Amino acid sequence: MSNPVTIIMIEDDEGHARLIERNIRRSGVNNEIIPFTSGTAALNYLFGCDGTGIEHQHRALLVLLDLNLPDASGIDILRRIKENDHLKTTPVVVLTTTDDAHEIKRCYELGCNVYITKPVNYESFANAIRQLGLFFSVIQVPQPDAP
Amino acid sequence: MTPESARKRSLVQVTLLSLSFAVLVAVSLASVYWLQKAREDNAWVAHTLEVQNQIALVQLQLRRAESAERGYVLTGQDDLIQQFNEAAPDVMPRLLQLRGFVADNDVQRPLIEQAIVSAQSRLERFGNVIALAKDNRAEEARELLRDDAGRRAMNELSDALGKMRAEENRLFSERTSEADRSQALATIITTTGSGLVLVLAGLSIFLVRRSARARDEAEIQLRDNNLNLEATVQERTADLREANEEIQRFAYIVSHDLRSPLVNIMGFTSELEELRSDIFRRIATLSREVAGKQSAANADSDGEPELEPADRQLSDDFTEALGFIKSSIGKMDRLISAILNLTREGRRQFQPVRIDTRELIENIASTVAHQAAEANAEIRIEPLPEIVSDRLALEQIFSNLIDNALKYLKDGVPGDIVIRGRQKLGFVIFEIADNGRGIDPKDHQRIFDLFRRAGTQDRPGQGIGLAHVRALVRRLGGTMSVSSALGEGSTFTITLPAKWTAKKSQEQRA
Repeated sequence: MSNPVTIIMIEDDEGHARLIERNIRRSGVNNEIIPFTSGTAALNYLFGCDGTGIEHQHRALLVLLDLNLPDASGIDILRRIKENDHLKTTPVVVLTTTDDAHEIKRCYELGCNVYITKPVNYESFANAIRQLGLFFSVIQVPQPDAP
Repeated sequence: MTPESARKRSLVQVTLLSLSFAVLVAVSLASVYWLQKAREDNAWVAHTLEVQNQIALVQLQLRRAESAERGYVLTGQDDLIQQFNEAAPDVMPRLLQLRGFVADNDVQRPLIEQAIVSAQSRLERFGNVIALAKDNRAEEARELLRDDAGRRAMNELSDALGKMRAEENRLFSERTSEADRSQALATIITTTGSGLVLVLAGLSIFLVRRSARARDEAEIQLRDNNLNLEATVQERTADLREANEEIQRFAYIVSHDLRSPLVNIMGFTSELEELRSDIFRRIATLSREVAGKQSAANADSDGEPELEPADRQLSDDFTEALGFIKSSIGKMDRLISAILNLTREGRRQFQPVRIDTRELIENIASTVAHQAAEANAEIRIEPLPEIVSDRLALEQIFSNLIDNALKYLKDGVPGDIVIRGRQKLGFVIFEIADNGRGIDPKDHQRIFDLFRRAGTQDRPGQGIGLAHVRALVRRLGGTMSVSSALGEGSTFTITLPAKWTAKKSQEQRA
């Protein structure tokens, strides 16, 4: 990710957040990572104070989303991002502990771009995150309109 | 109504009915008897009248004969002879007949005998007078007529007959009154009997109606109770269902939420492991530096820094601790995954389809053929009935049980696993029998509990299989049980409805 793509990490568990960040960094991704530990804070940031999300229309974002948040359902956040005119092109990576087929299907239906189940086994976990980091380094994110 | 009073009431009814029947019979018998008696009495009255009639006729004929005799003696007219001949011979037969009539009467018998004697002498005299008159010896005849003996005989006869008539009169009044009494009695008995029967019948009808009403009331109450019961059952079922769903949701959420911290524990344990090597390498380097200062001679060695024995011990302890933590986390993860799978399985909708059980089990047997060959075991499948049920559930049930049978064989004994099936009253009964190590009877209940196992723990497993199987069997409307003893193999028996319908389960789960 040569261009300044900001990774928005919505993860309530600070330990997870730390492990994710660490492993992404290990894969050589140096982009800015903004962590949020609650859905509300993340939504406030994403949609701005006017709630339209227009603030970020000139930024390239990538959302790393956990589904089990204490204050809001990740599915809800996903839906709102994908329904917003300014944010819907933002790639959303769902990274969660759930491997329920139902849940996975629903996320893709709502427009999630990648769904990854957090492996409990740390080696697999670290591996998955590192690969995700590698993935981040090669994917193209929609470039913002020139201001 | 208590059973005691109900029994008493029915007893009263039966008693009443039999009583009325008895009364009816008694009244009928009495009526018949008294009517018969009245008829007999009437016959006796008629008899008396007949006797009186005969007496009157005898007297009449005698009078006729007498007047004809006298007339003839006076006038000598032949038609009087004729008249006499008609009357006189009629007297004796009538008297004899009369004797027959009164043969049963001690009072009448001497009287009739006397009357017969008198009548005979009188008739003889008649005969004599008539004979004399015929021979034209009228004077002698008149002489004979005038004789007192004739009149005396006639008086005696009249006297006897009069007494007889009096006697008959007495009998008549007696018998009439007797007949009247019999009749009156018959009437009274009939009327009172009928009345009594009517009263009893009325009472019975009343009792029957009352018990019918009581029965109707009881029926209504029973229906109400049934409805209530149904409602209660439905309510309870709904509660249970809710509780069950709650538990499933709970299990799901808990197991799910447990995973997050587990990822952290595992993650940071691994990080610690990384750190450990860093730390101990650093310790080694440092201690070498210190040692190097003391003796520069050792400085030439390169490669991995060696740890001091004490530090090595520390490092090993560290590794051991981390190893325990990691293996425990692994185990916990497997348990949580198992719970998740169970709850997921519990939420899956079953699809009833017709299943060729034998084919299904043959498929399972072929997938475990390798394991079976390794364990030196043989799986025998006997003819099995078809069943309508959920295919996946059945597959899981049988493969779990066959897996178990293969897993817990007796060492050194070739395994023999038999799958039998039979149909009975709308249910299909399957038996999976093995000659394995068996299960202690005290563990028969335990093995169906989640995360519980029995016997020597020398095989991998979480203690989930049988709990899962039993949950599936229950959801399919069946039951399962085990019969086994240590060292003697086990037989798992599964009873499933031959035709499981989704409707039933939806009703249960709606």
